[in-house]
Amino acid sequence: MGIQRTQAVIIPRMEVKKLVKKKRVRNTAISIFTLLMIVFIWWLVTDGLHLVASSAMASPVKVVQTFFRKMTDKSPDGATLLQHTLASLKIAMVGYFLAVIIGVPLGIFMAWIKVVDLMVRPIFDLIRTIPGIAWISLLIIVFGVGNTSRYIVVFLAAVVPCILNSFSGIKQTKDVHLWVGQTFGAGSRQLLWSVAIPTALPMIMTGVKVALGASWMTIVAAELLASSRGLGFMIQQGRGIYRPDIIMVGMVVIGIIGGIMAKVLDLISKAIIKGR
Amino acid sequence: MKFTLTVLNDPAHLFAGGRRRVVVIHLGFVPPEKWQVDMRLNQDKATRFQKIFFSFLSISVFILIWHFAVVFTELGNIMPSPFAIIKNFAVSFVKPVGKHTMPVHIAYSLRRVLTGFLIGSCTGIFLGIAMGLNEIVSSIFKPVFEIIRPIPTIAWIPLAIIWFGIGETTKYFLIFLVTFCNVTINAYDGVRSIDSDYIGAAKMLGANPVRVFGRIILPACVPYIFAGLQTALGYSWATVVAAEMVRSSEGVGWMIITGQSANNMMQIMMGILAVGVIGFCLTTLMRVLEARLCSWRERGK
Repeated sequence: MGIQRTQAVIIPRMEVKKLVKKKRVRNTAISIFTLLMIVFIWWLVTDGLHLVASSAMASPVKVVQTFFRKMTDKSPDGATLLQHTLASLKIAMVGYFLAVIIGVPLGIFMAWIKVVDLMVRPIFDLIRTIPGIAWISLLIIVFGVGNTSRYIVVFLAAVVPCILNSFSGIKQTKDVHLWVGQTFGAGSRQLLWSVAIPTALPMIMTGVKVALGASWMTIVAAELLASSRGLGFMIQQGRGIYRPDIIMVGMVVIGIIGGIMAKVLDLISKAIIKGR
Repeated sequence: MKFTLTVLNDPAHLFAGGRRRVVVIHLGFVPPEKWQVDMRLNQDKATRFQKIFFSFLSISVFILIWHFAVVFTELGNIMPSPFAIIKNFAVSFVKPVGKHTMPVHIAYSLRRVLTGFLIGSCTGIFLGIAMGLNEIVSSIFKPVFEIIRPIPTIAWIPLAIIWFGIGETTKYFLIFLVTFCNVTINAYDGVRSIDSDYIGAAKMLGANPVRVFGRIILPACVPYIFAGLQTALGYSWATVVAAEMVRSSEGVGWMIITGQSANNMMQIMMGILAVGVIGFCLTTLMRVLEARLCSWRERGK
């Protein structure tokens, strides 16, 4: 009587697959239900029961309406949604690409050449602790409120992760791999191109991705503070005149564009990085 | 007797990372087969002395160039000299900038960051682990996160101001948001990264759920959680500066933005200096904490 017997139950593979599938269907159903519930509660507190003032929270219906109206309507901030979006995108992209083009080689250079590492790194370490946003005021005084300050602030915010990640990526290269290269007669340049950079590539791509997020965030911040065009400006104006619908439309567009950019870069980095 | 022979593979390598091979040969009664050849490539390993020396050198060169550029060129019209900034920074500890002295401004900003950060990280760790352990919890919250995450916290500032006014709550909310999102996702990834064989093995050896959690799940998440806390703290600091620049009446961000509107470059530079120094202290503190708590991970590497 003291011995308990357990029976092993063997479930056929097909059954396991069915079970997994069933669970997945259930989980997706829960996800969709939650989202619907959130939208419903959101609608209930705004349009449904008017629990929150319309100046504090726009209803989902209103947000969708505003989104479509803002496509063609220039009021109240002087530009359509598309114009704002393009204005932000242009500055973010130019600053970002400059940062990648300059930052990645600089990081590699810093890691590969000891003297540069020793000389430049302390200054870089000093400057990188300052978030990009903090530079805005300084740049506005030096370069005025024009686009130049915004390009530079985006550049500054994006260049730091580019440099940092390509630097630590190159530093990750295993000595043994370099020795092997040397033994087979590779010169310094060849070692860099065919050993160190391929090793560092995943890390560099991570840096490039982080930089994209940083530049998008920084352009929004820069536009919140000083600008006359752009998504950040649009939501800031929406706050001034108590139009939460415009703010929410702006936030959604900012989120969607940020998400799309991250996705595109993800695909690119998957194509570039082989063998991982 | 020791004799060191330095073999340079290629003189150019001295600059390209200084790759050289050091051959240590013992002369005297040591038979040839016992000659030691030290094959270490002493390339990237800068000595401590070298590091400190070059840091000192490069920073002083940087400051001197800045100083002379300010003194002798037109840059002086808009930019104060670094020495003046440091002097004024020190003076601001006793002489108020605006209503408060520098430490009070810093304390305001720090209080905002730390309050939001503490609430956000506690709830984030809790929810992240719960999401990792339970599929239903994760399928409830995951889509919400997928929607919120791409929106930079800074874009929440106008809405937060409408909701919570221009007081402290707005800043707490923003910092909470940025910390919560980062930490939750990382804690979730941490739980998901655990090899289920470990949990199975522990269960088979008779560990109860509490023990499985304490011995396997929690230790496996800690590095992930710390990575999340680290990024979250950096973002929190940037966010609080942005929030203070948009709307506030004290703090380091306020110092920068009022400096701008008063065309007072000195005040802006002092603000930037404070932001940099405190940001550096926060990340260093976090790194030390991580090294302490995750020492087993470092040892395992």
